[in-house]
Amino acid sequence: MSGEDRVIIIPCSGIGKAFGSVGREAAYVVTEELRPDCTETVCLSLLTLGDEDARRRVRKHPTITIDGCPAACARVNVEQAGAAPAATFRVFDVFRQHKELRVRSVSDIGKAGEEMARILATDVAAKVDELQKERR
Amino acid sequence: MSCRKKGGESVPQLPERKVGLIACSGEDLPEGTVSRRAALLVLERLRPSATVTLCLPLFLAGEERERAFARFYPTIAIDGCEKRCAARATEMYSARPAVSLVVSDLADSLRLARPRRLRGSDAAGEALARAVADEVARQVDGLLAGRRETAAVRQSDPTGVETEAAEAVCTCVSGIPAASVVVGDQTVELLALPAIFALFREEGKSPDNSATADELMQQIKLYNAVAAEDENALREAVADEYARFWAQTAPAIGQ
Repeated sequence: MSGEDRVIIIPCSGIGKAFGSVGREAAYVVTEELRPDCTETVCLSLLTLGDEDARRRVRKHPTITIDGCPAACARVNVEQAGAAPAATFRVFDVFRQHKELRVRSVSDIGKAGEEMARILATDVAAKVDELQKERR
Repeated sequence: MSCRKKGGESVPQLPERKVGLIACSGEDLPEGTVSRRAALLVLERLRPSATVTLCLPLFLAGEERERAFARFYPTIAIDGCEKRCAARATEMYSARPAVSLVVSDLADSLRLARPRRLRGSDAAGEALARAVADEVARQVDGLLAGRRETAAVRQSDPTGVETEAAEAVCTCVSGIPAASVVVGDQTVELLALPAIFALFREEGKSPDNSATADELMQQIKLYNAVAAEDENALREAVADEYARFWAQTAPAIGQ
């Protein structure tokens, strides 16, 4: 698949909360394992600082955001870059449905955190498929 | 400096100053992952009691508390690449970081292999993260040592050397706004109080709301050491002072 057709996945990567790490891991599960041929990521901080190439990419491609806390930095910053996210995901929503999964820490999300990331990544991948179908 | 009683007896100790670490955490390059890993190594293992982290996306999204910290305390920006998003953001929204490190530059200068993985760490990424973390820890020690030396000069030399020393050793704490409140028969100076009041005023936090005093104290304690036995009296004094500030600023802000 050409770069023109890719879906962009942007996690918040919040460093102060374990859910930020889960969101980051979920994004990599999608971009490296589940849908490597049709997804990519963009540095959130670069986007937010107004980098023209990053802004162009999120405006041009469908973008999915993954947030680790209610501040929703990924979504907010994509919107501030002038794009409307095609879908938004929150780690907390996965936790609400799987309260047995206790994430260990920011630096080591543990097995439960990895499982949570994988559940979230599966949902994101399904949304990627949906977006791809719509574009055909 | 931050919470002392003038004309009174012994004063509360200064809080131990901390250094803020801001990692770019760039998702789209392996060095971004290294910046994040290095910051976490310092925060959790190397200097846990001397450092805090500031969440860069939150910082950029306009979180005043994060920005306020970086205005008042020294920060170390850890960037993955020469675009220096963390350093630029810190300077743009708060103050110039005391130290700015770039992972790719460090890798070159230390002749360490560049990482290849975005996700997690490969051997090269882990080695580089540890090297970066060591350098960050060294810089943290230097910043905190500089601050202690400055404080010593201030206490021992009343002839004017203190100003030069403070600026030369560490300019990052000069100009921190402070204000005084009267507690009983003593005046207590509180670091960052004007900024905290202004922030609360902007957020429309009324002094009539009983939760406001508690929230004020939470903020004040971020920047000032408050002894447990002094807290209730200080809360009352701060609440009174905030009520006066609220009344004075009401016409200008239109509330």
